[in-house]
This record gives sequence, C-alpha cells and structure tokens, in this order.
Amino acid sequence: MPKPVKLMETLIHDVVIIGAGMAGLRAAIAAANLSNKVDVAVISKVYPVRSHSVCAQGGSAAMLREGDSNDLHAWDTIKGSDFLADQDVVEYFVKQAPQEIIALDHWGCPWSRTKDGKINQRPFGGHSFPRACFAADMTGFYEMHTLDGKAKTYDNIKFFDEWFATSLIIDDGFVAGLTALELKTGRMMIFRAKAIIMATGGYARIYEFTTFSHTATGDGMTMAYRAGVPLKDMEFIQFHPTGMVPSGILITGGARGEGGYLINAKGERFMKHYAPEKMELAPRDIVSRAETTEIEEGRGFNGPYGPYIALDLRHLGEEKINERLPLIRDVAIKLSGVDPVREPIPIKPAAHYSMGGIHANIKTETPISGFYTAGECACLNVHGANRLGTNSTSDCLVFGTVAGEEAAKFSLSHDYRDVSIGNVLSEEKRIFDEILGSEGDEKVPVIRDELRRIMSEKAWVFRKGNGLESALKAVQELKKRYKNIRVEDKDSQFNTDLVGALQLDFTLDLSEITISAALARTESRGAHTRLDYPKRDDENWLKHSLAYWSKEGPELRYIPVTIAKWPPSARTY
Amino acid sequence: MNSEDEIVDFEIHRFNPQKKEHYLSTYKVPVRKGMTLLNALMYIKDNFDGTLGFRHSCRMGICGSCGVMVNGKPMLACYTQVLHLNSNRLVIEPLQNMPLIKDLIVDIQPFIDTYKKIRNVLIKPEETLKKLEEFIQTPLELKKYWDLSLCIKCSICYSVCPAAIDEKFLGPATCATNYRFISDSRDEGLSERLKTLDDNIWLCTSCNSCTLFCPKEVDSSSSIIDERSLMVETGGIPKTVKDVLESVVKYHNPMGMHPRKRMEWAKDLPVKMFPNVTKAEVLCFIGCAPAYDPRSQAIAKSMVSVFSNLSIDFALLGSEERCSGDHILRLGERGLFEMLAEHNISIFKEFESERILTICPHCLNTFKKDKPYNTLGLNFQHYTEFLAEKLKNGELSLPKSINKKVAYHDPCFLGKRNEIYEAPRQILKSINKLEFVELKRNRENSFCCGGGAGRTWTEDAAPENRPSVERVKEALNAGVEVIATACPFCVTTLEDAVKVLDLEDKITVKDILELLMEAT
Repeated sequence: MPKPVKLMETLIHDVVIIGAGMAGLRAAIAAANLSNKVDVAVISKVYPVRSHSVCAQGGSAAMLREGDSNDLHAWDTIKGSDFLADQDVVEYFVKQAPQEIIALDHWGCPWSRTKDGKINQRPFGGHSFPRACFAADMTGFYEMHTLDGKAKTYDNIKFFDEWFATSLIIDDGFVAGLTALELKTGRMMIFRAKAIIMATGGYARIYEFTTFSHTATGDGMTMAYRAGVPLKDMEFIQFHPTGMVPSGILITGGARGEGGYLINAKGERFMKHYAPEKMELAPRDIVSRAETTEIEEGRGFNGPYGPYIALDLRHLGEEKINERLPLIRDVAIKLSGVDPVREPIPIKPAAHYSMGGIHANIKTETPISGFYTAGECACLNVHGANRLGTNSTSDCLVFGTVAGEEAAKFSLSHDYRDVSIGNVLSEEKRIFDEILGSEGDEKVPVIRDELRRIMSEKAWVFRKGNGLESALKAVQELKKRYKNIRVEDKDSQFNTDLVGALQLDFTLDLSEITISAALARTESRGAHTRLDYPKRDDENWLKHSLAYWSKEGPELRYIPVTIAKWPPSARTY
Repeated sequence: MNSEDEIVDFEIHRFNPQKKEHYLSTYKVPVRKGMTLLNALMYIKDNFDGTLGFRHSCRMGICGSCGVMVNGKPMLACYTQVLHLNSNRLVIEPLQNMPLIKDLIVDIQPFIDTYKKIRNVLIKPEETLKKLEEFIQTPLELKKYWDLSLCIKCSICYSVCPAAIDEKFLGPATCATNYRFISDSRDEGLSERLKTLDDNIWLCTSCNSCTLFCPKEVDSSSSIIDERSLMVETGGIPKTVKDVLESVVKYHNPMGMHPRKRMEWAKDLPVKMFPNVTKAEVLCFIGCAPAYDPRSQAIAKSMVSVFSNLSIDFALLGSEERCSGDHILRLGERGLFEMLAEHNISIFKEFESERILTICPHCLNTFKKDKPYNTLGLNFQHYTEFLAEKLKNGELSLPKSINKKVAYHDPCFLGKRNEIYEAPRQILKSINKLEFVELKRNRENSFCCGGGAGRTWTEDAAPENRPSVERVKEALNAGVEVIATACPFCVTTLEDAVKVLDLEDKITVKDILELLMEAT
C-alpha cells in the first residue's frame, strides 16, 4: 500500500482516467474489462454525457464492406494528413476500427441501417469509399450514451463526476498521481494511481468562432506539458468548413456527404475551382481554404455577422433531411432561424479539431511511465496535418481501448509511486493563493476574449510569419496580465468563476505553443497554411514538432515521421 | 449595446451555499435576435457578476447541462431564444425536485443514480456477444425506439415529476430508456427489464409533465403506459392494481360497488335519466368517483343543484353508465378499456344531445383523446367550459359572496392534457368577494395531486413522499383558505393530504361546483 500523504485527503485507484468523453469512457471499459482486479476511477469536470464528444455528428469511419479495404482507408487517411501521419499507427487504426463499431452495436448504439438491416455508411470528405457508420446526425451523442451505459455495468469503475483535475504528480519518470478539485465542495484532493490516462479532448475554445462546447479547453494537454511531456504537432488546427453563423455550431460534414452544395454569392458551386473531382467532399483543410478565399475575394454573402457561404440542402428534400439530418434541421431552425428544407444555411470555417496533442506512441504510451493518453488531447499520430471527417470518433474508440488495456496491464505489474509533498503544496498554492486569492485588477473574461481575438485574427486558416510573431508577443503579454487577475467569486462550492480562470490559464499555454510551432514551420501542409511559405516542403519539414515546457516558453524539437507503404506524393482531389 | 437591442430584466433566484442564503439578483440585459438564454446568462457572468453559478457546455441542445426554470417553466437555456419568450421580465430559477447546490446549479446525482437501477445497454446472451458480427436491425425496427433514444438526460422531466419525489420511482427518462431497450429488436432482456419496474412504475400519475417539457420531445409518459401494458400482459402487477382491474371487470367501476347502486346518490334528486329519457340538451357523464365515493357524491349533487338553478335541460345515463376507462387504460389494461368504451359508446349512440359534459377531467380526456371514443365526432366538454360559456353570456348569476382566499389547483387532465386553464379561473373570479390567488406552480407547470392513472386507489407511498402533501404545503405557504379544483380525484387526494398535515382547521378543498352551489 502507498504511504499516506497527510495534507489532503487522498483517494487511491489503480488506473485513473481524466476525462469521460468518448476516449475516456472507452478506456474505462477496456481497463475494467481486462481484469476485475483493476480498480478504475474516471474523473471528469462534467457528467460524462455532457462531454463535448456528444457533439460529434457525421459518423465513425471503418472498413465494413466489400469494395473497401484497410489499405484504402489507410491511404485516404495518410493522403488526407498531407503525409504527416505515422503510417504504422494509421495501419493499426484502420485495422481495429471495424470491431469498435461492432462492439457499439452489441451494446446498443442505434446505428442507422441499410434496407437489409446492416449498419449503414455514408460518404464523407476525403474518403474514397462510403465508410462513415452513422446514427443519423447524432453519431457522437449515441456513441457516448452507449459507452456511458456500458461503463456503468462495471463494478470496478468509479465515477468522479464534476471533479476538475488540475495537475499531474510525477515521481522520477513515473506517474504517481494527480490533484483535483471536487467542484461541489471546492476541496482539493490527491488521487494516487499506478497508471493515468489523459483523455480530456481538444482546445478549440482558444478561438472565437468554433464548433466547440464551452467546456472544451484542453486542460489535460497543459497538465501533461507542465509535467514535462511534450505536445506534438500543435501548429495543426483543423478548421471545419461548415460552422453555422453566428454561433459556430457544427453542421456535420455529413450534410455534404448526403449531397449538400456549397454556394458563393454568385450562386456558384465554387469547389469546382479548388477540387474539381471531389468538389464538396474534398478534405476539410481544402474546403475551408476555398471558402476563406471566396470570402476574402468578395464572393461571400453579406449578413449581419459578416460575410458567409451558403450550404444548400434544399435539393435533398424534406424526407431525406428529416431521416439523415434531423438534429441540424432542428438546430438551424431554433438557433439560426433558418429551415434547411427551405433556405440554405449560412456557414463559414470554424475552429474544430486539434491534430496535435500529447506526444504518445502506437500503444498510447507517453515518455512518462504509466502515463497514457487517447482521443483528441493525444497525438499518436493518426491524423498528421489534417484529419479526415469521421476518423476522430473512430480514433477515440480504437485508442481509448488501447490506452485502457495498456494502463490496466501496467497497473497489474507496477506499484504505486511516491507523491512528493512539495508538488502538492505548490499546486495548492497555485490554485488557492495565486489564482483564487489573487487580488489584481484583470478580469478573466476580458483576457479570455482578447486571447480568442488574437488567435482568430492571426492563427486562423491563413497564417503569416509577421502575424504569428505579433500574436506570440500578444499572448505572452496576456500571460503576464493573467498573473494580475481577480476571480470575483471567492466561495468554495461550485465556483464556476474559478473554473473559468483555471481553464484560461491552460489555454494561454496552449495558444502560445500553437503560435510558436506555427511560426517555426515555414511550409504549408494540411491545415497549416503559411501565405509566406505556400508550398509543402518535404525536404525540411516532413517531421513532427515537439513542444517542451521551459521557463522561457515552449522549446521546439523535431522527430521524423514514420513512412511505411506510402511515400509522400502530390495531394490533389 | 446596439440600437436594435431590447432590454430584458433577468430576475435570478440565487443561493449562496456558504451563507445558506437565498436572494434575488436582477440584471438588465441587452438582447437581440438570435440571443439565447444561455448567451444572456453568460453575458451577465462576464459583464455584471462573475459569481453567478450555472452549468452549460455544448450550447446546441445535445449535452443537457443547462436546464433552468424560466417564468415557471423548465427549459434548456441554450435551446431557447430570449425574444421568443415574449417577455421583458424573465424570472430564472433552478430546476425543482433536486437539492440545490448554488444559484442555478442543482445536484443531479439523484437523477443520474436512477440509471443504476436499469440496464442501460443491450441484454444479450454472452455467446452472441462473443461473435464479432453486427446485429441485423431493419430501418423499421430502428424506428420503433428511435424517438425514445433521443433523451439527452437533461433531468428536466425528473425536475417536474410528481412521482419522483419518492426516490423509489425511476423517473420518466429512466423509464423511457428502459422502454427504449424493450422496444429494441436486438434486446433480449424483456423480463428483467419489466422486473425492474414492478414495485415503482405504478407511482406515475400520467400527469404528462415529462412529455410536455421534454426539449427533445421524448414521450416518456406514453412509454410508461406501454410498459404497464406489458406488465399487465405478463401478469407482473401488484395486488393493489389487480384489485382495481378486477373490480372494473366485475362491477364496471374501480370501487367494486354494484352497478345497480351507481345512481343511488341521485335517487331523491329531480333528474332525468336514460333509458327513460333519450334526448336532452346536455348529457352528463357522472363518472365513478362522483357516483360512488361519498366525498365526491357531494360534487355530483352540487352539479345537479347548479344546473337545476340555471334551468338547464340535462340528463344522466343512469346505471347504464360504466367507467370511462381512463385510469384503466393508463394502468396498462387496454383490452378492458376497449370493452368499457364499446359499452359507453353504444349508450352515447342511443342518446341525442348537443353536448356530453363530464365532471371528471379523466373521463373528458379519454373521450377526447383515446380511440375509439375520439372517432365518434361527439361534442365532449368539461363542466367548467360549459359554465364559463354561460358566465360569458350572462346566464350564470351568483348572488352570494364567498369571502375567502382561494387558489385554483389545475387538474393535470384538464390543464396539461387538454389545455383548459382559463374557464375554471373565470368562474372562480366571478364569485363575489372571493380573493383569487395563483399557486406558485400553476397552469402548464401545475404540480400533480398524485391521484392520476389509478394511483388514487393504489397509493402506498409514505405521506412525505406523496405529491398531494407537497402541493398542500405549497398552498399553505401561499396563505390559502380554500383549494379549489375541478376534479374529484384532486379533491380526494388533496383532502387526504390536508388531514395528513393536520390542517383541517386552516384549509378546505372544494370542487368548483361546490363553491358555485354555495354562491347560488
């Protein structure tokens, strides 16, 4: 048994998973299923079904039918990644995806069906076969509720809902535990664990116009970074082509998969100029650049919230829209006042996904022993410089499973590590004295909005060296200002003001890393487009960036890409 | 602030857990088209008061975090546009039925824990699950449970559910999820799933609040009835329910009284009766409670008195009248319901009248909403609708005054299910010197008395878990002397609660007909 730490109450579990979204829940099931001797805890700042994964709409990619093949899925993924994906990881990913779809079917996921009762699949951007398994346009929602139901059948999984993890505790290259706040009471606790899985999702809330839930702030990435784990390929942020105006709410790529058109103000299906073969079903980076170009060159529609592009579904007809896209119809009517059966939906590119994340290998192992990661917060690297639609939910399922099993195995063969009191004390000081106790004159929402403005102006679809340089300075300035904040709410119980401050703190680091990595990468690849370096440069840049924490800010190093069957070639659609 | 903005007052009910203090904060929020309630709450938090506590996440109606009460109705803050509420003053409160943590944040753990009592995953034999093969399910089979699968677990239904004050009850969403799996062609766990329900599903009163307020239009209320039907079919029902059903089979009423005695209450009254009479302007369907239950008989007698005073040409069905079947259908016994309906319809067909009035909202509801009654094209009305018409035409004169503070309790089957909210209020307000007050929960958001769907006969909850007790406490807090209502079951259950709370010297419960008799 581990030695007790006196200062705070300590909870002890073999495997602790931070985050109860799709990867976290899948990992919990896999860990608990591996052995009932493994005692699993899942910590999440929201109730599991409130996680951002429920917003995933379009589908989950998997090779299920004749005519498709693992190699074809792998090739589509690698080409989509602009050859930055690690090909061994991609091959494993596509091989494992089908059984995850079937597992969800066995647990009750209401997959949409073909006439003969098989799991239906729809076409999706960048995929050369209709392989997106879907449950109408609420795939993530259904997958999450299915996983939540399954996870709760295990007696060896304990849920800590509405607990906010704040830092990892490391002992000599091994993970030892973490600190977390119980939101309901405001007390801080130590969790000791033999293995920890980080599954806290992405951080696109660093932008103004995003498809992301308000709670998706990349906390776990920063926790890992501060604990000494590098963040990989953080310059690559995906911009989804169809964020609904004005909220940014996602309109699934499935809308184009079902046959929707993108139209400019001239009434033209402009994708013919950018991807004549794939048209609207080109990968997201290409479509988002095309839309941005159309808007910047004056061919967008004018609306009260600025220029936009039209997503026209009218020709699909009411019946198909109701059957295949019921959620987006409802959301468009309720929140944008537009019925897609009768009018096109106003859309434009929205920050949507982080290809980068916590550096880990094919087994989801990070450089710290016992510390694993899966889902959007991880970078293994399946998606390279641009992820294909419907590959992220499959990624969460496949590598959530891997992480759960690996962490469980690790916990069975290792003991608890020591938790240093110094670590815990300094974290207590950071949260309660330096953040909650700070009596400065800066406001959290002001800095948060300023950060979002900077990122949206200077680290968006098109980037320039001088813009990124000024963004970096501005973000570093915000980090200084943050030290002088004042959290208005000083109470302990359910202090959402404090949570907002902690999240902002995490996103400031992530923004700094994103800008630094983007500034360093003097080429254009996938979702990272440098107007001053418009071409892909395999000679110098066919490599992953790793950002390490240092006192002076992120320190960049590089590692090679794993190329197996598919050498880089020109990427046209 | 933009010139097009409209200023809306947000009056927020706050709670400081540290000081255990309830207080109000009011903020003026500039609102424009497209702004949701959630946007407004975030605007307040960012610009006026960082201490305001509320939950939110997806802002697109799918994560279920942001349920709050707005002007008395529960809704998702992110899925409601402020201007669509057509009000420049919005009272925002936390959801009900769950412990308060802070401001608009309630502890939803009791709701989440109800899912532990069901299997929220397919039940299949282990061998089937070992095969790495997809199951076959046709689009038609999928459609059978699809609508129920839309539940986002926001807890809004639970927050308005009168049965959920008893923690034994699974709550509407959990019952609906259970039925979602029962209806899933892949599932093989029917008996296990029904077993989960057998000691608690009878607590549901069919008040329909869950269905009415569900942001995803999940019809939990109906799925509970469907589950009961399966339980009746398989015989897995408690004795209390069985007794009610057997009484109806034998005596055509749930009280187990002899059919010949159905009109005994009226034997000395000047009333016309079928089959002696086959034509009248108004045919009155009395219903089982007013016919047999001594307390409710007073209501029926009041009706005769009021109608006679107004010289209305009315008649009763006599001992040919049988239970309308509303409670029976909602207890899950469709076959028996259909037999009752067939008989009553045959009598309706022999009688000629302009309208058929009911005393009981339950009879009204089944006549208007359920097959085969609703296919007859007959003019069914509740007596309050009829008398409100008379009032409007100046035909209802009420010379005597009632100098009391009176609140109206909306019966669910009159209000929520048939949207008759104003007629009873108009009648009460027309009585001289009567001080009319609204209970905090009224109209659509009225809180059920707990008597619906047969629960009036099957009640075995401890007094503190009875909805009626909570409702009477609400009236007591409002300083009410009389709870007026328009349903014999509401009268009985609320009066029981008054006795349980030992408030007989403070509060009386009356049907509107009884008050009308007093005022005539």
